[in-house]
Amino acid sequence: MPSFDSKKAAEIQRHLHSHLPSDPALRVKTLESLVVERGLVHPDDLDAWTELYANEVGPMRGAQVIARAWSDSAFHDLLMRDAAAAVREMGFQGHASGHLRAVENTPTQHNLVVCTLCSCYPFSVLGMSPAWYKSSAYRARAVREPRKVLSEFGVELAGNVAVRVWDSTAELRYLVVPERPAGTEDWSAEKLATIVTRDSMIGTDRDLKVA
Amino acid sequence: MDGIHDLGGMEGFGPIKTDSPPFTYDWERRVWAIVQNTRGGLEGGTIDWWRHTIECMEPSTYLSVSYFEKWCLNQMTQFIDCGTFTLEEVVSGETTRLQDPPAPSGVNGALARLRANEVFFDGPNETPPAFSEGDVVRTLAHVAASHTRLPRYAREKTGRILAYRGAHMFPDTSAKGAHEPRHLYTVDFSACDLWGDGADPKDTVTLDLWEDYLVRP
Repeated sequence: MPSFDSKKAAEIQRHLHSHLPSDPALRVKTLESLVVERGLVHPDDLDAWTELYANEVGPMRGAQVIARAWSDSAFHDLLMRDAAAAVREMGFQGHASGHLRAVENTPTQHNLVVCTLCSCYPFSVLGMSPAWYKSSAYRARAVREPRKVLSEFGVELAGNVAVRVWDSTAELRYLVVPERPAGTEDWSAEKLATIVTRDSMIGTDRDLKVA
Repeated sequence: MDGIHDLGGMEGFGPIKTDSPPFTYDWERRVWAIVQNTRGGLEGGTIDWWRHTIECMEPSTYLSVSYFEKWCLNQMTQFIDCGTFTLEEVVSGETTRLQDPPAPSGVNGALARLRANEVFFDGPNETPPAFSEGDVVRTLAHVAASHTRLPRYAREKTGRILAYRGAHMFPDTSAKGAHEPRHLYTVDFSACDLWGDGADPKDTVTLDLWEDYLVRP
């Protein structure tokens, strides 16, 4: 059973950081050999997990959700009302999707997602988060100067666009629904999914490019 | 707690490496897989206790080690704290208490575990919610010295309830092992109220906050 004792946790953290080899690769190797020897996981299952995230779980899932919402108004309504149910319907439920919410960009509203306190992210819908999302710089700055942050990503907003930053402080997770670009009216959902970028679903990209 | 993890609004950071990929090294993928697949060794724990033990890192360590290295150190800390491994076992990298792992289940097994991990944090609460959509609320000035999800930048600020989200596990007590669903709201704050007149008056910052953090102004 956990101790739920902050002081004890702080002591363990201090001790580990000063007594373990400094190379993180060696630290992880130590952790892996311990959990495998103790029978907590089979090493092949660790390979399988990485393979799953490399091939099946990634931003292409979110892109399919967005493309379907653009193409199917009933699904769009479900996504906006209950995004967790919408991703479940596509078989994408899992880690951090249980309380998923979709927030939609409009010509005058831009949405940006951050987690200032840790790095909460809808993993099962977008895959592993990019390193910048977990960086101190993004976590510190996104709430305070979102327009400067957006500008570093190459997003310049028109003068009438308001920014709403969603700080993921509870177990709700946010998925930004970007605007469907003009000139894609006759596109299939499959083709639409190819232009939805990961960053557009976090909010650090806005005007999707029609190739 | 007023911890180093509470980064929102801190100045001096930047610029952002906008093209950084999710993983750079193989060990990062590996520790991600380990943490996601060894929860059986952390029986009785909660997500908030897991977050809190990261917050208990020395501030200088927190800022200097990468995200995935924090995960490695934290999973070790969690295992030691709940008695799965001793500190000596982790530091030496050797354990004598050997056990056979379960049979591997392949990528399909991994997908099944991922789907089964659609966890819900809401629950029943018989007390009616104190606030409703549109209400003006003020956040507390002070928080507990342990885990909390009211960030420093949003304390003692006035906002407006955007939505009621049901009763969700209260992190402050969940980090101590309790399961207490309390009313949760999405609260909207004007960027100028948070950051001063230099912010764009059109902009807002929205947080998900528990009723315990809120009072009527």
